[in-house]
Amino acid sequence: MDPEEVKKNAKFLVENLAGAEIPGSAKVSVRYKTLVSFAKVYGITDPKYVGAEEDGIVACHAFANHFTVKALYKLLLGLKLTQDGKERPFLINTAKLLHAGNKYNWEGCVDVKPGDKLKIRGKWGKVWVVEKNMILFAELLVDVKNQNDELVCNVTTNAAVRPGGY
Amino acid sequence: MLQQTQLLGQVAIKKLEVIKKMVKISDFNVGQVIKNEFDQINRDLLRSYAKASGDTNPIHTSDAVAERAGLKGIIAHGLFSFGYLSKLFEDLLNQEKDGKVLEIGVEMRGMVRCGDLLITEAVVTKIEGKKVYFDTKQTTITNVDIKKDEEIVKQFEAGERGYISEKDIAQGLVKTKEVDEGTLTYRERVSTPGTAIIELYE
Repeated sequence: MDPEEVKKNAKFLVENLAGAEIPGSAKVSVRYKTLVSFAKVYGITDPKYVGAEEDGIVACHAFANHFTVKALYKLLLGLKLTQDGKERPFLINTAKLLHAGNKYNWEGCVDVKPGDKLKIRGKWGKVWVVEKNMILFAELLVDVKNQNDELVCNVTTNAAVRPGGY
Repeated sequence: MLQQTQLLGQVAIKKLEVIKKMVKISDFNVGQVIKNEFDQINRDLLRSYAKASGDTNPIHTSDAVAERAGLKGIIAHGLFSFGYLSKLFEDLLNQEKDGKVLEIGVEMRGMVRCGDLLITEAVVTKIEGKKVYFDTKQTTITNVDIKKDEEIVKQFEAGERGYISEKDIAQGLVKTKEVDEGTLTYRERVSTPGTAIIELYE
């Protein structure tokens, strides 16, 4: 992609994404087996996270990685934008996408439990370009709620996209 | 009251296994460190994480694919090491009795590889009401080789696959130390800096 097109796309995305809602939502069904497998990767032995299904367990905090990554791929890969009257995907080349960081906030949230059906929605926070290397940075503000509309986690994800990827 | 230099993580393990003592806000002081170390990052573990997380990108599970992507070998998932940070606080707090984790944030700066020693640390920076604030960091120690009389007597995966870059050397991340078998060359770098907040009930 030529540098002028990269600049033009960067300008378009910075001007149009910040603060905008990401259309649609992602859904994740939480299974007992997945929660236990996830916790066991980290050697967690506390029965609160890996106990018997009938005793009731909750997700370990790291499980937030599972639903966040799943949801972000779905929301971002499916995202279509209209630039100069033409439809384009947000990501032109997914190989140029870099995941730069995540912040999980559980204040006022309820636990994730087996059988939960999570609904994940996102909106864009700050979007900016580092002109030196034309890497586009985007902050995504994601809220995750369960089937009872109770908040289970707020996530701020920072994604970076190298030139040619947007 | 815990001593400022005491490792709260070790205290927490004792608490869970033996003492069953509550953790209270008065147990914390600015400057205290909680720490855990993990040295069993291997291909089987990354396969288990891929399956559990649903992130099945083969650069995390297949050396051939990772090599074709220019990575010289498989790399851990970006958020894989996050679990050791959240576990640090889960081991510290009984969430029914002691308190809860409010927030954990991480920046992914350096790749984590099989064979790395992952050191996870959290330092208390501020205490406000019942909330304790931490600066966190995860450091990887990547062994390269052991030399005796200029000859390599042991080579690790990072040495075999060439994970150490000129940039690492230029940045002073590559170090040596004497071990029983000779001189160990290793890289030490912060892979994941971050922050965390917990809230105690008492």
